[in-house]
Amino acid sequence: MEIQSEALARTLEGLKTKGFDYLKKITAVDRVDHLEVVYILYSTINNEHEIVLTQLPSENPEIGTAMKFYKAADWYERELSEMFGIKIKGRKAKRLLLEKWNGAEAPLRKSFEWANPNYKKL
Amino acid sequence: MAIMRLNVGPIHPSTHGVLRLVVDVDGDTVKSVEPHIGFLHRGVEKLMENRMYMQSPSYVEKLDYVAPLSWDDLYVAAVEQATGILCKERAQFARVVLLEFQRIASHLLWLGTFANDVGQLFTLFMWCFRERAMILKLLEDVSGSRMFYVNLRLGGLYQDLPSDFKDRAYKLADYLEGKIVEYPDVLDENPIFLERTKGIGVLGKEDAINYGVSGPVLRASGIEEDTRKSNPYYTYGRIKFRIPTGNRGDSYDRYKVRYEEMLQSIRIIRETLDLMPDKGDVIGLPIKLIGPNAKPAPVMISRELPRGEGMIYMIPDKQKPYRISMRSPAFVNLAALPKMSENCKFADLFPTLGSIDIVLAELDR
Repeated sequence: MEIQSEALARTLEGLKTKGFDYLKKITAVDRVDHLEVVYILYSTINNEHEIVLTQLPSENPEIGTAMKFYKAADWYERELSEMFGIKIKGRKAKRLLLEKWNGAEAPLRKSFEWANPNYKKL
Repeated sequence: MAIMRLNVGPIHPSTHGVLRLVVDVDGDTVKSVEPHIGFLHRGVEKLMENRMYMQSPSYVEKLDYVAPLSWDDLYVAAVEQATGILCKERAQFARVVLLEFQRIASHLLWLGTFANDVGQLFTLFMWCFRERAMILKLLEDVSGSRMFYVNLRLGGLYQDLPSDFKDRAYKLADYLEGKIVEYPDVLDENPIFLERTKGIGVLGKEDAINYGVSGPVLRASGIEEDTRKSNPYYTYGRIKFRIPTGNRGDSYDRYKVRYEEMLQSIRIIRETLDLMPDKGDVIGLPIKLIGPNAKPAPVMISRELPRGEGMIYMIPDKQKPYRISMRSPAFVNLAALPKMSENCKFADLFPTLGSIDIVLAELDR
């Protein structure tokens, strides 16, 4: 299911009432010209998955929080914001979850140089 | 009374790895817990985006050093799905047997260390490690390595099974069953163990779903959810087994669920061996020949790992994954620790933490 990022809260609320009570994963994909955020939901009652995709601009991406509906979103959203530089609206900025450095660059963006440029490339 | 802030870890025997907990206590009642993770973060997802598909299994195995084969299987299955390669039939049986042995080995290590946390000092630990060593010996003879197997290839295994594999697996299953049923003797009649686990670290049904926990932690809270049943893979659909569940969601139930799971795994192993053909090809594609041209459609695949449900969401590219994202069960389960340890005593925090069964390398990725 592809949605507009503004419609996230509405969509999640609707899906939760439909029985998708379990949030499995929030992740993102850097498509270079835009970011794609992926919500993988699951229904423990009906045993089915639903993938919610939404697109965000690469510059200053912002998205609402899913914390209202799923507490599981907590660490996933923190991971998302530090790995992709996505700002989560409605959540206070906390210390970084996984990184122990300045976090100036989002490491899972494609623009991030993964190895020392002086190393021989594979 | 004033709130005191205590710092536990990152190097601490009860945290089972490099985990730091910042605990606010009032007297000896825990008011809040904040896990600080990331000490072992090494950017595995980013590294894998820059490796050929079959260069990555050894990275994946190091995620969970207690159950490397399970993660290896999850990753290889994701690549198989992306490239449309089917696993050979006999290899499917072999994988199920090896995976279930791996699950038992992982639960044994957990049970031994958990009993140590709780006050059953070293008796059970030694027993568990004795049995685990035998499983590792079998896995070593199958793969050539005691801990990090890198044994799976696209479509099968990397070499044929030993000729006496079936006999040995049957014998080992019998041996394990005989030993594992003895364990409750030192736990279920041990007042210290019961006192420190019953009613401690409770996670209710709604909370368990809301926090997204999975595996034994979810099942201990009374939800019958197991990927092996709900989305059967390999030969699990053809085998009868039960999903053990608890009803209170406390540390004791989590122990009981894992204990029952070990016995169910033995049952799965036996039934799989019964069905498994004696002859047939199990060898997958050699690494060097592989240039799998994966289709760019996203792949989402779930496996029941010993610690919970592992999942890979992958956008394949031709030779390397464009993006690979892994759901680590321990990551989600640990996030529920603050809820589990609400208003518990400080000494009870560690049995609760131990009962989640975390592996920090997997958590931090």
